[in-house]
Amino acid sequence: MQTVPPPTVAPPTVAPAAASPAAPAPSDPVIVVEDLSFRYPGTDRDTLRNVDLTIQRGDFVAVVGGNGSAKTTLCKTFNGLVPHYWNGDFAGSVHVNGIDTWDSSVAELSSRVGYVYQDFQNQLVRPTVRDEVAFGPLNFGHADHRERTDEALEQLGISHLRDSFVWQLSGGQAHLVALAAVLAMRPEVIVVDEPVAELDPARAREIYLRLRALNQEHGITVIAIEHHAEFIAEFARSVVLMADGAPVWHLGVQEAMDRHGDLEAHGIPAPDAVSLTAAVGEESVALDVPSAVTALRPHVRERAAGPEPTAGSWPTADSRPTGAELGDPVATLRGIHHGYRTVAGDLAPVLVDLELDLRAGERIALVGTNGAGKTTLMKLLTGLIVPRQGTVTVDGIDTRSRSAARLSDHVAYLYQHPQQMFLKDTVRADVALFPTGRRVPDAEARVDEVITRVGLDQLAARDGRTLSGGQQRRATIAIGLAMRPTLLLLDEPTSSLDVRSRHDVTGMLDSLAETVRCAVVATHDMELVASWASRVIVLDQGRVLADLTPRELFSRPELTARARLVPPQAARIAHQLGLDPLPLTAAELRTWLPPGSAPERPTPAPPLPRSTISEVH
Amino acid sequence: MARKTHDVLSVDWVRLELLRTAYSTRGGLFARMDPRMVIAWYLVMAIAPWFTHNLTVLIGFFALGVVSVILARVGPLVLGLFVIGLGADVIALFVAAFLFGGDLTTLIALAELNLKLGAVSMASMAAFVSLDPEKLSDALLALRAPSCSPSGSATGTGCCRSWWTSTSPCSRDSGCATPPPERRGLLGWRVVWQWCVMAVTAFYPIMLNTAKNVRTTVEALETRGFTYGAKNAAGRTLRLAYLRVSGLDVAVLAATALTVIGAYWLGAQFPLHR
Repeated sequence: MQTVPPPTVAPPTVAPAAASPAAPAPSDPVIVVEDLSFRYPGTDRDTLRNVDLTIQRGDFVAVVGGNGSAKTTLCKTFNGLVPHYWNGDFAGSVHVNGIDTWDSSVAELSSRVGYVYQDFQNQLVRPTVRDEVAFGPLNFGHADHRERTDEALEQLGISHLRDSFVWQLSGGQAHLVALAAVLAMRPEVIVVDEPVAELDPARAREIYLRLRALNQEHGITVIAIEHHAEFIAEFARSVVLMADGAPVWHLGVQEAMDRHGDLEAHGIPAPDAVSLTAAVGEESVALDVPSAVTALRPHVRERAAGPEPTAGSWPTADSRPTGAELGDPVATLRGIHHGYRTVAGDLAPVLVDLELDLRAGERIALVGTNGAGKTTLMKLLTGLIVPRQGTVTVDGIDTRSRSAARLSDHVAYLYQHPQQMFLKDTVRADVALFPTGRRVPDAEARVDEVITRVGLDQLAARDGRTLSGGQQRRATIAIGLAMRPTLLLLDEPTSSLDVRSRHDVTGMLDSLAETVRCAVVATHDMELVASWASRVIVLDQGRVLADLTPRELFSRPELTARARLVPPQAARIAHQLGLDPLPLTAAELRTWLPPGSAPERPTPAPPLPRSTISEVH
Repeated sequence: MARKTHDVLSVDWVRLELLRTAYSTRGGLFARMDPRMVIAWYLVMAIAPWFTHNLTVLIGFFALGVVSVILARVGPLVLGLFVIGLGADVIALFVAAFLFGGDLTTLIALAELNLKLGAVSMASMAAFVSLDPEKLSDALLALRAPSCSPSGSATGTGCCRSWWTSTSPCSRDSGCATPPPERRGLLGWRVVWQWCVMAVTAFYPIMLNTAKNVRTTVEALETRGFTYGAKNAAGRTLRLAYLRVSGLDVAVLAATALTVIGAYWLGAQFPLHR
């Protein structure tokens, strides 16, 4: 085993961060972290630095912070993966329920602290749901493993999935199964690592509702690592802000949201409800839509002259060209039917009788729940697959008549998971693969230009896999741009990015128009839809449920509910306020508020002390 | 040359067939049996053919193999590979023998080896198509195999799945990165060559992505008491509690034993040697 040296780097002491203004009244800590530092082997600085943190039993804690702030490493100390599985320099102590994790083992701690991974699909190790959930109890030799399995499935409302094979589950179901497998061990604490990263927001919300039920009805302490401030504000009871390997503060959720300036400084922008109520000068910001509506209602002013003064500020959301303005069709789909064979051998329909025209100059968002057929539609457009019935024409070419490799002169498809796009050992080589492979005359110049354009000059010699999430995404966009396609297809370009990286990517998307004639984005990110798209195609069970502008879409709650879409929070607030035309983003909504109280950016709430922040920096 | 969606002989089909085979979703006689008894049955079928040179007996075993393959509902992929393999073997040996001065009687001479191989292969297919990784590892655990074998099976399942999901870089490559050759060349050698190049270049990303995914799988196994359970007798007993030898198991084993004895008896009555 490794020794336990004192931490070699002595960072400035963090204020006793666990200072418990937020903690529930009776002090009954379930996790106590004292002066913890940890360094992974082979690195030259501590990942965790002098962490002091106390988590009360029955709390619902959100752990937030930018990429690389050691949120995940911190949570892996709770079940002993650090230091027992990940060896390294470990100093300080972690007590879970009074047990010192250093003297315990992963197995013993795991029955107290359950962990649901961000890539939870890889967490499933058994073929059927029942086996998967019973796996833990069986290993620990609990004679009541059947009861535990049934109970866990019951608690999450997935008893009907009992005999399904795990590979047949949708993303949301798989996450619930991973959670059930953890619940079957009857843990006192559950750690959930970024559930929103791989799920659509409606399903992520479902996960949070279940977690809340577990927390409130069964007293289980929940720790969620989360980027999305909207979920934090709505579900968490307390918030730990991590920066640079240590907590900046640990506060009750209301107080944490009141300090939205701190959150923003660490890459967690405030949810619209918070920033809007702060903008009108509310002392205590609103955490969810209904309270934001109540707070904002007295401030909304009547605007005299319709949308003219602001039309310039949101050009894309409702300027749908009609009639003569329509561009030439870049791709057409006629009478498309497509389906897949299942394990049982029957044909599962994915797309049913689809008729679409994608035209030049359009920015198309393809939305709908997981399994609505978005990815299949994109793959049909690339020619990676051809439809069972009907015709797909791209750039005037029937996809049946060309191989996918030939069609890639016209269409580029960027996968959801960037690592699937990296074939070479440097970003530059990956970007150059297509133009040099096709012996494009000015390949070198084109590669240089594209890499500069996405701002990766400094990183072009690195392996794509070693970049951060946002950089990886930009690298894949560079790969797509170097192909100079007519039609560019992007699958979930903003998923699992923290907000700063998201801004980078949306900025890139804005500049696509110069090189690409038509761009299609399949996404769950309604903020992206609101701010970028000029046309939204809503898919539901393989059919086009609606084909409209973002503003029309978000003005129709019955439609968004049916397609299980969650409009941006600002749009929901605006809808309940009854504004027309409907503002879609916080910036648009602010034009309805008195000008004095509508600053360009949300300012940090001034009356609050910021001592803890300054001590860290 | 219009492209269309293929339901068989496509990558997706192979994938589905592998899943169906690995998890015996087609059911069948042996899938309903106790896995320990399936292993016992397999041992009988795999060992018995090696004690004789009598073609009559071997034909009996071959027929028994065919019957078991049908009863086990072996899928077309595995069966097809077997038929191609056995057929190619016979043809290759015959051609070789012919070149060295043999004639049609050589085929009969080769029959002994191929009948044995065929019978044993069919028994293997029938047994292992019917045992999913779980059942196999439980049976091994029950038979007191070293604890690494069941653990290997569980880890292997996870690894194979994540390996499969990370094969998609190939599709990026086939989709866009490398252009198809301008001319196909003699017998399409350029196309074949490009496939080979692609398979080699795809190795690096696939392995890296798999390694990354497997890290979570291994951590998750650890957090769910996997190593703890392997050492813990209580877990083992609980896990194996469902194993029961039923009337069906006894009947199948008895029928097999009788058929084997019958084949030897028949062989003694009508011996057929080359």
